[in-house]
Amino acid sequence: MNSDSDAGAGPIRRGRVLILVGLIGLAGIYLMAWRFTPAERFQGLAQKIFYIHPPAAYTSELAYVLAGISSVLFLLLKDERFDTFAAASAEVGLVFGAVLLTTGPIWAKPIWGAWWTWDARLTFSLILFLLFAGYFALRSAIREPAERARYAAVVAAMGMLLVPFIHLTVYLFNTTHPQPVVVQTGKPALPPEMLRTFLASFAVFTVLYLGMVMTRFGIGARRVALEVADAE
Amino acid sequence: MPSNGGYAVAAYVVAAVIIVGYAISLFRRSR
Repeated sequence: MNSDSDAGAGPIRRGRVLILVGLIGLAGIYLMAWRFTPAERFQGLAQKIFYIHPPAAYTSELAYVLAGISSVLFLLLKDERFDTFAAASAEVGLVFGAVLLTTGPIWAKPIWGAWWTWDARLTFSLILFLLFAGYFALRSAIREPAERARYAAVVAAMGMLLVPFIHLTVYLFNTTHPQPVVVQTGKPALPPEMLRTFLASFAVFTVLYLGMVMTRFGIGARRVALEVADAE
Repeated sequence: MPSNGGYAVAAYVVAAVIIVGYAISLFRRSR
């Protein structure tokens, strides 16, 4: 592990560029969604939340899964870079999880008539968010780096197992959450103008994830290098 | 068509605040 003062500088530099590209892309998505995508007839303008809510769900789940995989790799290989990446990805997952859990109820109020229901998908999404919030509570409670990484890795690996289950909730349970409208058998049930904005939003959220996780990884790597330098 | 544009605007503002706020936090922490 690089313990120089410039540890993490490369990922930080590249990550910052990607974040800026992602933020410009996000502004573009806002413009596309409001200016160049028609309103839906039955849901009205509230349907436009659809261009940020599912991409936020996908990004947070991607982040949690990669944090889980990285944690398993840490447990197997004992390379601290996997722990650093897991913490970075989990943090970014929480950010997009916050977008998911705030935009969902704002859509649900005008469409369902209630901010929240204890529907299977909503409940499991909240549990997953709280589990990864607990992951950071655990990390901050343990001072010894190797012990912290080992315990945290187990939590993240367990959290990852919930993600596929959340996907299956709309099929396994009688839920109020809509079924997939794009990823389904046959053609997506969306007109091309809506599909274009929807897919572009997924691409922009992916760029934001990559930029944020790289920058956060660089910050974590720098912190590890300082811990090593302090211990020496 | 139902008039619920205020909800959509609120969702977009909340999402932007969270995403841009975290991006600013990362830029500050990575200095």
